[in-house]
Order: sequence, then structure tokens, then C-alpha cells
Amino acid sequence: MNIQDFLAFDSEANSDHDMPVDLRSLDFVSSYDSHLMCPICHCPLIQPARLQCDHVFCQKCLRSAITTFRSADSEEFPCPSCRTPTSHVSTNVPRLLINMCDEIQVRCPFLAEGCQEIVPRGHIQSHVDKYCGHRLMPCPDESCDKMTRKKDLQQEERCMHSYYQCSRCEQDIMEQDYERELKKHIETCTEVVSPCVASKYGCAAKIRRAEIAAHEQSCPLVSIGPYLESQNTRLNSLELTMRHLQQRNEIFEDGLSNIRSKLLESARASEGHLNSGRAAAEGERGRQNQVDDLDDSMNSSNVFSSNATTYLLSLHESLREEVSQMSHALTDLDARASMTIMNECLRIKEDMAHTNAAVNSVRMQVQWLMNPRLHNGARAGGMRTNASAAGTESPRSQLTSTSAPGPSQAAGPSLGPLRPRRPSDSGREGTKL
Amino acid sequence: MGSQKRIGKELAELMESPPAGITVNLVDEANMYEWKVLMDGPEGSPYHKGKFQIKLVLPTEYPFKPPTVSFATKIYHPNVTNDDKGSMCLGMLRPDEWKPSSKIGAVLEFARQLLSEPMPDDAIEGRIAEQYKNDRKHFDEVAREWTRKHAS
Repeated sequence: MNIQDFLAFDSEANSDHDMPVDLRSLDFVSSYDSHLMCPICHCPLIQPARLQCDHVFCQKCLRSAITTFRSADSEEFPCPSCRTPTSHVSTNVPRLLINMCDEIQVRCPFLAEGCQEIVPRGHIQSHVDKYCGHRLMPCPDESCDKMTRKKDLQQEERCMHSYYQCSRCEQDIMEQDYERELKKHIETCTEVVSPCVASKYGCAAKIRRAEIAAHEQSCPLVSIGPYLESQNTRLNSLELTMRHLQQRNEIFEDGLSNIRSKLLESARASEGHLNSGRAAAEGERGRQNQVDDLDDSMNSSNVFSSNATTYLLSLHESLREEVSQMSHALTDLDARASMTIMNECLRIKEDMAHTNAAVNSVRMQVQWLMNPRLHNGARAGGMRTNASAAGTESPRSQLTSTSAPGPSQAAGPSLGPLRPRRPSDSGREGTKL
Repeated sequence: MGSQKRIGKELAELMESPPAGITVNLVDEANMYEWKVLMDGPEGSPYHKGKFQIKLVLPTEYPFKPPTVSFATKIYHPNVTNDDKGSMCLGMLRPDEWKPSSKIGAVLEFARQLLSEPMPDDAIEGRIAEQYKNDRKHFDEVAREWTRKHAS
């Protein structure tokens, strides 16, 4: 469009919003590229317009630039960036540029009224129109010319601008600021009666805030306040450590009673084994002690030590008992062993006597059997010496009578004179028996 | 007032991250149109070690009209009038050369650049420009002398 049309067409002024937001005075939260900035107003472009030289400005800024720079009613004006003579303005700019400018995050303009909203710039108008509860509206009371916040307006449409006076001092507070301002006022009102700072240490004084400073300078409790404070902290820390120690003590006591019960069990077991009356009595006493311990933890260590000695004593007793049993068994075994050995010995001796007798009888028999042969041998020797001179007939007949008849005997008499008897033959005969 | 918003933005920007050798303040907290700028003489120039106070006045039509820059501290320079006003002649500040897209930060940086490199061809003080062109040594001496006398 040409300049005349462009000047006549004011889109920002034409908006149908009852309360247009000034986009240039917004507080921009997110950072934005400097290229999105209008060179004239240095804000992110608002309803941008493009010139022939491709420079882009807000329409509003461009309009003021044109009115400033255009020499009376000419059809041209210089571009505010490059001073190129321009006669045509295009409101047709890339969608991308508009979108980038519209998504920059801004704060709600009613931050001062308490709205903390941060919305994209493109949504700020609708936020203010529809959603912002902190937006200022004219007072429903026609006679009142003040503004009131939208959220305060909702229930009863009445004027909230009447003043209320502080019950202590002269200061007035408006009804619409009641909640917020009253708290603040009560904290600062000089007429409010408040206790002395040393009240926790016993100072009973309750004085108006305006005079309390003077009191605090003279109040003795205030001056020793720091000392009391430090004592307090010390006490607290000591209490804390005490609690710790108590807890630890409890843990130890538990452990001790555990150990004790275990010892008692084992002692009882040994008692049962030994079946010793004395140990049973000791155990009884121990058990009694344990019962006492539950009430009286002071004695616990004492009792515990006596319990230990009884336990050890009973153990010693049982061991001695066992040792004596063992020695009994040993002597018993010894006697039995010697008895069996003696029995065995006797039997073996008897056996040996029997064998001796048997051997003797055999010897007797053998002697008895040997005697005739010895006699015969002695007689034959005598005859052979005799017959060596007389002939060889008799030894041959003697031989036939003593040995079994055989073929050699048949041939013997023929060979007899050829083979003389060797002296070794007679020696052999002697050793045979 | 559109101009106030833009001036406020530029002032905040310059106070937060000022250009080298330049400090920006308002003459009066209530008036955004008059700035007090303190500029250190650039190194390598006869104005080195000098501190020059500059008054920057913005028109209500800003940014459609250029600001005016004047030296409150006397300075021996071909582009600064050698009188009580001490107005500076910057090409970009001339009404027909001014562009609304120019920023004050850029103007100040340009002014500091002019201290390093005076523009004798665009001079406002012809005599000093002549001396600068023909007798550079003498010009440097006088400029240094003035700097020591007025700007330290």
C-alpha cells in the first residue's frame, strides 16, 4: 500500500480490546535476538511492516518516522535504516518473524498488583483480558474514581475503597488492601503493645513499640540475655549428649543380659549333666540374682562376676568327677586285662606239656623201633669181617633177608665177587638211623 | 512517550556494559534527556590519560532527531568547536544524515574514534585542521598541553 493508505490504516488503534496492553513497556523475561528488535523503538517487533529495501519496523514506529521525515505531502520518505527513498509499505511480513516475536516470554503488566504470571508475548493480551485477577478495574461505585483489582471485585459489587483505622494508631488502611497491608502494618505499628525481648527470661514488661527501645536499654534481663542464651544452648547440647549416652547404655545393658542368660543356660546344662546338688543350688542362686537384676541394674556387674565364679566352680567339679570316673575305669580295665593274660598263659602251658608228652612218647617209640636195627647192623659188620676170609655166601643171604627180593638179587650172587663193598656204604648205614 | 522507553533501554544497556573507556550517567536522575558521559582519551593519541566530560542531549523526538554531543572539557581538536559550547561535529549526527536505527552507544564510540583519528576534511575549526594536516608534531604538542591543563 502507499504511504497515505498506510498512515490512515492504524491497526493498533483499531483493536477491540477494552484495555490494550502496551507491548513496548512489557518486562521481557527471555532474551531475544537483536535482529527481532525494531530499530526505532528497540522492542521486539510489534505488527511489523516491510519496506522496499527489506527493512522491517513496527507499523507504529514507521508511521511516526514517516510523519517526521517526509517532506510535506511528498510520495516518498527515506528508510529510517538506510535512507533509501521509499514510497511503498508492505504489511505482509514473514509469519516466522511474527511468531518469533510473539513467543518471547513477558511478565504480566500487573506485577505491581501481585500477578506473577509469565506468558508468551502473543498471549499477554488475552491473559490481561480474561485471566488476570490482578488487573485494575474501575470501582463499581460510580461516585468513587479509584481502581480496584479484578479478583476483589467478583463477589459483591461494592466499593472497597473506604478506609479503616488502626485501633492503636491513627494510620488508615483501605479495605481492599486489608489482608496484605494489615499484616504489614501490625508488624510495624509503633502503638502496638509488645513484650520485652527478654520476656522469655522473665521480664514481665509489656510496652508500646515506640518505647520499647528505651526499656530494652535499661532492662537488666536484656543485658544478661546473651549469657542466658549461651547457657541455654549449652544445656541443650548437654541434654542431647546425655540422651545419646542413655541410649548407648541401654544397648550395652541389653547385650549384657543376653550374655548372662546364655551363660546361665550353659551352666544349667552342665548342672543337669553332673546332677550335682551343690551346682543346682548355685544355679538357683544365680537365677534368683537374675530376677533381682531386672530391678536393680546397679548390682548387675557384681552379680555377674559371682555368677561366673559359680559357673567355673561347677565346671571344675564336673571335670574332677569325670577324671575320677576315668581312673576307675582304667583300673578295672587293667585287672581284666591281666586276668585274661594269665588264663591264656595257663592254657598255653598245658598245651605245651601235652605236646612234650606226645613228643616223648614218639621218641620212645622210635627208639624202640631203632633198637633191633642197630643190633642187626652191629652183628652184620662182625660177620662181614669174618666172612672175607671164609667166603661171600653169608652176606648175600643176609641181604636177601633184609631187603625185598628183586632181579638184582638174582644176579647178585654172580656179581658179588666182582664188586667189593666200599667203606662209604657202611658209613651210610650208620647215619641212616 | 515512545522516546523515553527507548532512551531508558539504551541507558540501561550502556550502564550495564559500557563500551571501553566510556562511562555513562544522567545529569539529573529525573531527566532522561541529558546525559553526562566521561570519556578517557584513547591510547596512542595526544589525548591519552585525559578525562573528557561530554554532555549528550537527546531531543524529545528521539530517535527521529539526532542527539547533540558537546565537550564540557576544553579540547584541542579539529572537529570540536574551540569555545564554551565545545560542540562536536559528527557526520552521523547531522539531521539529514541521522538514522533512527543508530544507537547512542554507537555515537559515543564514534566520538571516541574521532579523538584517535580526527577528520580534518570535515573540520569545524579550520585553523586546527590546517595545523593537524601540515604540522602534526606541533598539533600533538598543543593537544597534549591542553589535555594536561584541562582534562586531568
